Amino acid sequence: MLADLFDPAFADSVARIAVPILLASLGGAICHRAGVFNIALEGFILMGAFAAVLGTFMLGHVFWGVLSAILAGVFMGLLFAEFHLRRPGDAIVVSIALNLIGLGLTTYLLRAVLGVSGVFQDEALGKIIEINIPLIESLPVLGSFLSGQSILFYISIFLVFILHYIYSRHKLGFWMRAAGENPLALKTVGIKPAPVKLLALVLCGICCGLAGAQLSISNVSLFVENMSAGRGWIAVVIVLVTNGRPIPLLGLVLLFGFVDSLSLRLQGFGFPQQFTEMMPYIASLIALIFVSIRRIKDLVGMRGYDNG
Amino acid sequence: MLAKLHDISVNFGEVRALDNVSLDISPNQIHAIVGENGAGKSTLMSVLFGLNVNYSGQIFIDEINKNWSTPSDAIKAGIGMVHQHFMLIESMTVLENIILGSEPNKYLGFLDFQFAKKKLYDLLRTYNFSINLNQTVGELSVGQRQMVEILKTLYRSAALIILDEPTAVLTPAERADLFNSLQDFKNAGKSIILITHKIDEVMANADHVSVMRSGQLISSLPINSTSRGQISDEIVGASKTKSISRKKIKPGPVKLHLSDLDVLGMPQIGNAFNLEVKANEIVGIAGVAGNGQAELVEAIIGLRSSKSGLIEICGTNVTEVDISTRRDAGLCYIPEDRQKRGLALDAQLSENASISLLASKAFAKGPFLRKTKIKNFTEDLIKKFDVKASSSSALANSLSGGNKQKLIIARELSLESDVIIAENPTWGVDLGAINQIHYELLSMRENGHAILLVSSDLDEILTLSDRVLVMFESELSHSFRTEKVTREELGELMLMKASEKKKRKRQISHEAI
Repeated sequence: MLADLFDPAFADSVARIAVPILLASLGGAICHRAGVFNIALEGFILMGAFAAVLGTFMLGHVFWGVLSAILAGVFMGLLFAEFHLRRPGDAIVVSIALNLIGLGLTTYLLRAVLGVSGVFQDEALGKIIEINIPLIESLPVLGSFLSGQSILFYISIFLVFILHYIYSRHKLGFWMRAAGENPLALKTVGIKPAPVKLLALVLCGICCGLAGAQLSISNVSLFVENMSAGRGWIAVVIVLVTNGRPIPLLGLVLLFGFVDSLSLRLQGFGFPQQFTEMMPYIASLIALIFVSIRRIKDLVGMRGYDNG
Repeated sequence: MLAKLHDISVNFGEVRALDNVSLDISPNQIHAIVGENGAGKSTLMSVLFGLNVNYSGQIFIDEINKNWSTPSDAIKAGIGMVHQHFMLIESMTVLENIILGSEPNKYLGFLDFQFAKKKLYDLLRTYNFSINLNQTVGELSVGQRQMVEILKTLYRSAALIILDEPTAVLTPAERADLFNSLQDFKNAGKSIILITHKIDEVMANADHVSVMRSGQLISSLPINSTSRGQISDEIVGASKTKSISRKKIKPGPVKLHLSDLDVLGMPQIGNAFNLEVKANEIVGIAGVAGNGQAELVEAIIGLRSSKSGLIEICGTNVTEVDISTRRDAGLCYIPEDRQKRGLALDAQLSENASISLLASKAFAKGPFLRKTKIKNFTEDLIKKFDVKASSSSALANSLSGGNKQKLIIARELSLESDVIIAENPTWGVDLGAINQIHYELLSMRENGHAILLVSSDLDEILTLSDRVLVMFESELSHSFRTEKVTREELGELMLMKASEKKKRKRQISHEAI
């Protein structure tokens, strides 16, 4: 039974499910650490996924698709910056707007530019290059997790560690942490916090754009309306639970990938679909409960009328 | 470093925070700047450090006219500032905090920690500091955090170090260490600006002292050509005159009574409060802001809980009840912060004026408001208190500061409550309005109300109060009859010429922390 459950195809699906969520969470983490409350990851991913399909279809190669996805993500990041950093827009309001724009604009462009509604599929759409690693690919189960994945899988794992390194060793990492924790302290040592936050939003756009590309031109080769399907929200949860620290974040993403694959697999074993589809969300709820326990504040004296 | 500030002025809205201040800072000196809260000391320093760029006037560093656009310009010119509220990243280590913003580059922006450590170890040795560079700042004591802030300025080779209220948070031993270090810096050729309101520290350590009051520079003298008395006179201001007189009246029964009241979350550890305010009496509480006055007022009006003790209004125990029950028992409140607590800024004058009376029959018919009655009531108030407003439906935010305050006072006094709590009622208000507010408070006193006046303005306390108490480090002194105490005595109690009892007290409170 267990061997049936955890076969090479299962390991492969954990990786495929994890990559977009990992990339989006990394983007979210960069914003979170820099003090930008960005919960528009869903909209960022969706724009990336659409741009990837559009770029590939129009320009004839997945390379252009990936580049378009990055540009679309950066565009969303710049929009966020315009309304939240340059103008005093509330981050939550801006996030909601960008999520709606992501959904609306991709649905509209799907009709206006590609002339279809619902789904766009074409033989010209390829897939991002997949890499087979000799020796490792022949490992049992783990081999199909570590080998034969899209290049974005390896890039995203690499990004986890490079981000960790940047936070502890690079001045941009220092500035981003300071901008998130105490922007006034950063200002008093002569660094303006706003450009640092802008940088975080651009990097987040790149990561989320790649997440979208992984969804639409790697896991499958098509675009479906609203194909991000809540992954951006899962990423938000992961960022909040791990407080944006890259290594724990990787762990949690893999856990989600595991639970999600498991729920798919259990359907095949005859568990009711309604139950298995709940599993990732139950896992998010449990994670959220842990966060809220950590954040309960102790109010001394004040009766809650006034926190000044 | 020779720093000159020439004719610096800053306006915050309609308030003139700095008024043509000119100041010279000489090298090899500890230059103290003293004054009450709000006198403009911190504003002046934020101009010198490039944090506030909306000023008029000029800054000269070593005879060169400088124009900062950010603090980094000031830092490059050799100015360092230790802020009153530390500017540290708690999750970072001591080393990371010190190099933040001036990172030693190894390659491509990656950091050369070895270089930074070597430079810091040299500094630690030179000035005899001991601190673990790899410890997280969140784990440090307040005194150690201050050392990190000082090291930040030394690491950037500051020639002029500004310290904003550096001793407020330190234990006596840490204070002594700090002043030893400042002497070392001075001997090493640096200029030190010390902002404080503790005269003892100034007399003991400074070479030069400048006094500021209400945004103006009152005096700037070498320490040996001034005296403690002169400085404290200049800080509180001796020569404001008011044509307001307090008639002799025999006080009536006790209206507000606090017994052994132990308030939660006081800024320092003090004794429980005991206080009586009688009818026909104004009791003043003097003190420098931040010594627990705000917390005491919050406890009386019901914004803050108490651990133990009693609050009685007109004989009713209100310790446990909510704010509206307290107000029904005969309490009203003129808050210090009129923007935040006094008014709903985006609501109309009539809405603000009637807000505490909406449940009454006079203004409401069932669930519906009687708009005309409210309007007439508001217009009466506006006329009676001479509030300058376009109409009763104007937004509260359209009023000037003084008129906002008059509207609040009109509203609260119209309730005819037995007990009136007035917290810095004339703060930031122009002279004409001050006179009127004082007049109204005195006439309430004559009409049998009991008034508790909390103010950091000594003139106000002395003009209005029958009795005065001084609040220092969350503790009330015994009460003086106003005729039997001098401004100087109160000033010294407020600014605490450290007597033996107080020294002991402070030690106890720091051990407890």
